[in-house]
Amino acid sequence: MSNPDQNQMKQECQNQRECMEMLQLIVDGEASPEQKEHFLVHHLEECMPCYKNYHLEVAIRQLLKNKCTGQAPQELIDSIKAKVISNLAP
Amino acid sequence: MELEESPKQQYSDKEKSNIFNNEFMPHINSMYNFAYRLTLDQDDSKDLVQDTYLKAYRFIDSFQQGTNAKAWLFRILKNSFINDYRKKSKEPSKVDYQEVESYYNSEEVDRQITPDLRVEALKDMIGDEISNALNSLDVDFRTVIILCDLEGFKYDEMAKILDIPIGTVRSRLHRARNLLKEKLSEYAKQMGYKNA
Repeated sequence: MSNPDQNQMKQECQNQRECMEMLQLIVDGEASPEQKEHFLVHHLEECMPCYKNYHLEVAIRQLLKNKCTGQAPQELIDSIKAKVISNLAP
Repeated sequence: MELEESPKQQYSDKEKSNIFNNEFMPHINSMYNFAYRLTLDQDDSKDLVQDTYLKAYRFIDSFQQGTNAKAWLFRILKNSFINDYRKKSKEPSKVDYQEVESYYNSEEVDRQITPDLRVEALKDMIGDEISNALNSLDVDFRTVIILCDLEGFKYDEMAKILDIPIGTVRSRLHRARNLLKEKLSEYAKQMGYKNA
């Protein structure tokens, strides 16, 4: 996706509801290649609200992934393994 | 996916050990994170993950090799949470989905579809803002965001993990993300972003 000229873009989206639904399908990886092409390549180039929303959604997901994941404590891993190994013992 | 309904396998001890170590244990970090985000308590989350893994081991003959181990484990964890933890927790009663679905289908949702949150404001959220915002959501909304945005489950997998129709997955996600954005937009305002 290129950096479109913001002055040339529509400032209102006529299909906001459908677009929000499409946007969700796209960020969730559930849209078809044709839907993606139409929305990401054609629609975003000309529609300012959708362009902004798309980048906002992507940024939120990135932030979630960076900030809301963690590692299991080693003691927990050890404890689970120990319990299961003792179960496996004859 | 079902613990009880799947056709039973007959694994040898060696096969069980292989499945457990190579297909179940690699998901431990995701499982712990899911448990922590559900219970919001470190001790409870450790207990929940341990219970889940021991249950998974006990019912390992119901797991079909080649199917999605992560989804299978997440479903067991979610059910254990509902059965063992949710009852005793002090969480307010769950959201009335009838109300949520009708909200989603109403015209109102179009008007306030997105709070005017900006990407620049998000870039300055380098602390716990997003984590706090996520944790502040009702547990059912929190869950769909974790499954979809953090763990990358597809809608059909989420529907199976949560025992809800795909349409409900989609509408719940939509609503959850709007609530998350509202929360983030409050933080952005506190950080001094005007009209955020």
